[in-house]
Amino acid sequence: MHILLQLFWTFLKVNLLTTSGPASVGLLYHEAVPNLVTDSQFVQAVGLSSVLPGSDALQLAMYVGYAVAGIPGGIIALIASILPPTVIILGITLILHRLRREAWVSSFIEGLTPAISVLMLFTAWNIFVKGGSTSWLSWAIGILSLVVMFLEAPARIVVLIAGLIGVFFLS
Amino acid sequence: MNQSKFIVWSRLLWMFLKVNLLSPSGPASVGLLYKEAVGQIMTEVQFVEAVGFSNVLPGSEALKLAMFVGFAAGGVPGVLTALLGSILPPTVMMLIVAALLEHVQHESWLKGFVAGMSPAVAALIVVVAWELFRTSSSKKIGRRTILIAALSAVALWLNLPSPLVLLGAGIMGVILFR
Repeated sequence: MHILLQLFWTFLKVNLLTTSGPASVGLLYHEAVPNLVTDSQFVQAVGLSSVLPGSDALQLAMYVGYAVAGIPGGIIALIASILPPTVIILGITLILHRLRREAWVSSFIEGLTPAISVLMLFTAWNIFVKGGSTSWLSWAIGILSLVVMFLEAPARIVVLIAGLIGVFFLS
Repeated sequence: MNQSKFIVWSRLLWMFLKVNLLSPSGPASVGLLYKEAVGQIMTEVQFVEAVGFSNVLPGSEALKLAMFVGFAAGGVPGVLTALLGSILPPTVMMLIVAALLEHVQHESWLKGFVAGMSPAVAALIVVVAWELFRTSSSKKIGRRTILIAALSAVALWLNLPSPLVLLGAGIMGVILFR
């Protein structure tokens, strides 16, 4: 019971403080690793959710929830992730015209965004260092992935290929 | 009357099932949704407004966009239908994959797979972070954005709790970007 409550609170917090799926990765990492899941599980979660079709934020949440507490964990994580946007949208559609002019909301987001970006850089570094080895091959995979994704290669293909390279050369 | 409502809902449900099965991620679904929704369910102006709102409010943006479209199509029941259609595909798939992975958790090839994926996942996060940073400063480029970024970096370096850092950055935004 306690662990499910902890899951619920974690995902509620993450989904209240980030504005999009991909941006939630940074905060989630800091909240969930190593309290709830290991680094390796987290990398699996991010990798898989970018490979499978559908909203990656939800998949990430469910994978972490499942790893912590099985099916109930997955469902709790899902509910906690859905709750904030749903309540907000249902509220907004009723007072939409009023909030439209509230400048402080967009200023808050304007300030939030650079902090989220920095948090994600920290997360990326942590995942790189702890997730596998820091051999020359890992560096090569990382830098190569970075370059091809900046050239707009689809992320899920890149992640899949990197994983396969790992199976053959890093096991 | 009741039957025509039912048709609207089932069309909505089908539309979101399709979009969420075909698009690999939240942001990628915007393009697909645009083709499905604009003209039939809402006007282009409404859609652009929905995208704007989805980016500003907390929570997964794909879900919020889906709910806005659902609302335009059929009020509160439309919102719930859109939500259901967006949640179902990733939920089913993820639970199946998670259950399968449970069985191979201790196989050595999975260790290699994770080790190979880690640098790519790290790179993916860097790319997303960069895109996020770029779009945020497109309107007001400059020192204030960089100041917040630098302060956040220092705070995180000092191991301050990250939700606090984000909250602080948001509050700084309210003060600085007025």
